[in-house]
Order: sequence, then structure tokens, then C-alpha cells
Amino acid sequence: MKFRRALVATALLAAASLTATACSSGSSPSSAGSPGSSSEKPTGTLNFVNDKSWDFKAFSTVSQADIGIGLNPTTYADQNAFVAFVKQSFRTNKAPGLFTWHTGGQLEELVKQNLVVETTPLWDEAIKQGEVAPSVRDLYTIDGKQYCTPISVDDWVMYYDKKMFAQYDIKPPTTWDEMMQAAATLRSHGIAPFWSSGGNPWAFVWFQILLAGTDLQLYKDLSTGKASYTDPRVVSVMNTWLDMEQKGYFSDPGSKTQPEEQMKSGKLAMIPFGTWYASTMETAGLKNGTDWGVFTIPAVNPAQGKTPVAIETAPACVAAKSEQKDLGLAYSAWWMTAQAQTAWSKQQGNLPFNPQAKASTETFQQVGQELADTNKYETYLRYYEATPTPILTTALDQFTGFMTNPGDPTKYLQGIQDEAQSYWAKN
Amino acid sequence: MAPATVLVVLAMYLPVIYTVYLSFTTYGGLGSPEPAGLSNYVEMFADTAFLTAIGNTLVWVLGSLLVPVGIGLLVAYLSFGLRFAGWLRVPFLVPYALSGVAVGVVFSFVLQNDGALSQALAYLHLPGSETRWLQEAPLNTIVMILAASWQGIGVNALLFTVGLQSIPKEPLEAARVDGASGWRLFRHMVWPLLRPSTTIVVGLSIVNSLKTFDIVQAMTQGGPNRVSETLGVTMYRDTFVNSEYGLGSAVAVFLTIITVAASMLYLRRQLSIGEPKGATP
Repeated sequence: MKFRRALVATALLAAASLTATACSSGSSPSSAGSPGSSSEKPTGTLNFVNDKSWDFKAFSTVSQADIGIGLNPTTYADQNAFVAFVKQSFRTNKAPGLFTWHTGGQLEELVKQNLVVETTPLWDEAIKQGEVAPSVRDLYTIDGKQYCTPISVDDWVMYYDKKMFAQYDIKPPTTWDEMMQAAATLRSHGIAPFWSSGGNPWAFVWFQILLAGTDLQLYKDLSTGKASYTDPRVVSVMNTWLDMEQKGYFSDPGSKTQPEEQMKSGKLAMIPFGTWYASTMETAGLKNGTDWGVFTIPAVNPAQGKTPVAIETAPACVAAKSEQKDLGLAYSAWWMTAQAQTAWSKQQGNLPFNPQAKASTETFQQVGQELADTNKYETYLRYYEATPTPILTTALDQFTGFMTNPGDPTKYLQGIQDEAQSYWAKN
Repeated sequence: MAPATVLVVLAMYLPVIYTVYLSFTTYGGLGSPEPAGLSNYVEMFADTAFLTAIGNTLVWVLGSLLVPVGIGLLVAYLSFGLRFAGWLRVPFLVPYALSGVAVGVVFSFVLQNDGALSQALAYLHLPGSETRWLQEAPLNTIVMILAASWQGIGVNALLFTVGLQSIPKEPLEAARVDGASGWRLFRHMVWPLLRPSTTIVVGLSIVNSLKTFDIVQAMTQGGPNRVSETLGVTMYRDTFVNSEYGLGSAVAVFLTIITVAASMLYLRRQLSIGEPKGATP
């Protein structure tokens, strides 16, 4: 009797424990609006599932007025819950008409399973109209075909505190050495020169800046499994990082205080981020042009010729099984136009990828012009998208370990290489 | 079939069976799972971070028994019979109304580097203001257990109070007449008579601490570099961060087996203590 009672009690506990794992989180988005007609110009309300904290409702009024399609956004604050929901939705008739995703391996994964609609005709037209650079198309190309379209394409720049720079008579640096001199000056005044953060997702930032800035080809070879993380050249880059750590050039990687708040309180001078970060700075009450400015991040090794600039792009994809495919594709095409990109830049304060669109701020108009010089700058895909997920997750852990306890980088690199070796053996 | 049975099968049994099935496959959340034999289990045990997670989970079990259960018992016993005992216990109960994630968020701001605790220690010129509470192992696990205890003491105290109220007065009075008091009275009379409550509180504590997830995820995400990971966090990381559903399911099955085994061993032992001698199992 007592055995049976114990067995029943433990069986219930077991069921409860396993149920929590088997049921992934997430709820279906509300299905508002009609799918629109299959004629040339579909109109209606498009279900848009996303993982961005951007104001899509405000942007919906622009598209509604322009092409008669409004957005019904469902935003997931948690990235993992968002991914689980989207993956789950492909098995149902609730697959979204439009959803945000990531380029690189994550997009490839969806394409392999025929889960997203091909967008090659949209790209052909946009390139023909000069609305998007061919280099951006490469990020969306898998086996010669395009999938998804960009909401935005963001270059990584360095945001800096203008007042602080003026106070210590520092000019925006144009070389790595100048940037290190600026860091030394700021440090001597008790200010953390650069923002740095451990954990997922931002632990990769300084590895990316230092490695691509030193040897872009090595960076690309690492992300495709052609080079090893234990390569002496990678170790050397990590030692540069260690040297900066030991000089006290970084903010506390364990801090939970947002970088813009650290800058606002006068504790932090520079933040490396994509151009999307402008709206976050504004939300924190930091004004573009007076409180903060941006400069392009100089290459560590100027012998590379061109200065490498990390880019990231936020794709919007149309699910192949969605009942709103026509609406989704129409919206995707519109979002690349100069009109939509100008409105998007105005709302977000960022840099539009469409050369015919106008950046909303003078700061980004100048940055846009400068980065358009392909003789001076070479873009590369951000580490977060360029690196396969299992390697990325391990790398973020190891980089966090390295930042928390700065020292010999070998064991951290070996940890990433073990995962990379296992991944590339299977893929 | 009765609706209740259908509900239980759908909500409890099918997910369990599906999870066990997934643990023998390779599955990224898209397409169909591919058979993988025991490879997920082999990979799981070969991962040193998984072994760290087992160690941390055991620390959580021990810590949860020592602090929230121990202090809960102390609060209940010391306040029992006092005139305003209910009011004394209320402050301990209030945190129980919060979710584990909320507790984690609050304490992560208190315990972060240069956070509220460090600032308070520096202000009072006390040592420890430079301590990295959430970044050093095993310190981060210990402070997270203390944060969880802040929430858990009240409900344990409540359960022990109910247990104390249900103890018959006669044997205690007889013991007092015989000269028992203080620790001797507690050790030889109250503690044995409190066993039904202790069984429940300790049983719940073991199960809850084995599946610790929310507070760790909110405070350290198992980091830095996986040093504070528990089995629950490992399961989440493999399944939802890395999209390795097969591996995550293997961790879930392992965690379940451990939970079931610990619960059975504990409950069987406790129930057998309560049975009259000579009874058959």
C-alpha cells in the first residue's frame, strides 16, 4: 500500500516535470484582418510576428495610407520563446504572413525545409530600381535564390558621449591608435572608455571588433569552420582584448545597467552598436548631435586596406504555409522602397539601407555617405548571425568567462573549438 | 472514456511519452526528428557543464533543506503559542506572493556588481563591497539559494505551524511534567510528532530544488560561463537556446528519473517509519 502511494505520488511529479519540457511556450497571434484578394494589389491587415521592441503600430499607419495594408504586430520579448513559437507555427495553419528572423545559418535552416517563400523577383526589381545594394542581397541568398527581405540594414559604429569628449579635448578617432589614446585619457579620469557586456547576446562584440579589425579573412574562415579558434592568430587577438581588459578600458561586464544609462550617468564614454541603437539613445533622453555622436570603428590593423564594418540586418520573412502570403510579399516589397525606408528612418532615427531614402538625422546622413565609399570600407556579417548557433552559444559562454576572469585565453578558445569541431564534423 | 481521463492522457502522458521519444532523436524543431539512439545521452554525460549542473543542483537541494526548511521550522516553533504569532509570521509570508522570476530580477539588481548590497556595504564601511556576488562560483549559487529562501521561508513556516497546531497537547504536557523542556522537548517529543508536516515540507523542497530554473535563469542565466547552471537551466538551454530538442529531452528524462528516484526513496522511507512493525509493503 505504502509503495503504491509513493509510486502514484512520484508518477504525478514525473508527469508534471516532463510536461514542462514537452510543451514549448508561446501563444498564437490573434488573427485579425482579411488575407486580401489574390489580385495585383492585395490590401488588408497583415499578421506580423516579431521579436523587436520597435513601434510597428505607428509604422502601420504609414503603410495603411500608402498601400492599404496595415500591420497587426505580435511582439515577443523573449527571443527563445519567439523562435519556439515561429518554428511551431510552421506545423499549423497559423504560420504568420510576415515574421522577423535572422540571416545566416538560421535562415538557411528554414530554407532547407521549404518553410519560407522565395523572394527573388522582389530582389531583382529592387536591385534594378537601385533601392538596395547588391552586397545586401548576398546576405539573403541561399543556393542562388533570395529569401526574405530587409526591414533594416545596420552598420556597426561607435556611439560616443560628445560632451565628455569635448570636456577632455578628445576628437573622434580615425585610427586604432588614436582610439586607444582616447581610451587612456578617459580611463585616467575614472571613466570606463568602452561598453562591454557578458552573457547572451552581447558577449561577442569585442571579439568581433578585434578579430575582424585585425584579420577579416580569419574572421570569415572561423565562421565557416576553415580556421580553428586555437589558431595562434586568434590567440593573439584575444591577448589584445586581455591587454585592454587589464588596462581597465571596459565597463563592468556583469552590470545589469543598460549602456545608455551608464553613459547618461557619466560613467561610460563609448558604445559599439548597430545604427538601430539611435532610437534607444533617444528613448533614454540622450539627444543626437548634442549628447552623442558616432564615428566608424577604426581597423586594428590598417594594413588590411579597407576598414571592416560589421553589418546586421533584420529580415522579414513570409511563411510558405501562410494564408497571407500575398499580403506578406506585397508588404515586403513596399518596405524596401525609398518612401517606406524614409518613413522608417524618420520613426527609428536610424540609417536607411535604400540609397534613395533620406536618413532622418544629419549624423546618419554623414555616416551613410562615408560608408558608401566601397574603396574605404568593407562590410562583413555580424558574429551573431555569421556563427552557427551551437558554436555561438558556447562562444558567448566562453567570452563571458574570459571577461569575468581575464587571463590566459587558451582554455576559453579551446572550449569554443571543441564545440566548433563537433559542429563542423556533423554539418 | 471520461473527459477527465482524456485530459490527463493529453496533458500528462502524451508529453511524457513524446519527450522520452525525442530524447532518442536528433531534432532542431523543424522537419521530422531523426533517430539517434543513445547519442544524446552519451553527449550529455560527456559535457563537463552538465556535470557542473548536477553538482549545482545537489547544492540547491542541500541548501533548500538547510535554509528555507530549517529557518521555516525555526520561525514556526519560536513563534508558536506567542500572542501575536500570526503577525510575526506575515512578513515571512509576503514574498511568497511573488513569482520566482520577479524575485530573481529584484535580487539581481541587489546583488550585481556595485549593486544595492555592495553600495550599502561600502556606505557602512563594511567588508564585501567589492565582492562579485553573482560572478564567482560557488558564491553565486549560494546567494541565489538565499534569495530563493527569502521567498520560501514563509510558506514552510506556515506548513510547520499547521503541523504544530495538530500535535495533541497531552503527550507534550506529560513530557513537561516529567521535566522535559527546551531542546530535549523539541528533539524527543515535538520533532517526532511533527513528522507528517516534515515529510510534506521536505518532500516538496527536494522536488522543487531539483527542478530549480526560474530564479537562476533570471539572475545569472546559469553563467558566467555555465558555472551556476542547474539541470533545469541546462534543459532549457539545450532545447530552446540551441534548438537541440533531442539533447534537451535527454536532460529532461534524466532530471525526471532523479526526481522520481529521490521522491520515492524519501517517501518510502517516511511512510515506512509511520507504518506499524510487521506490516507488509
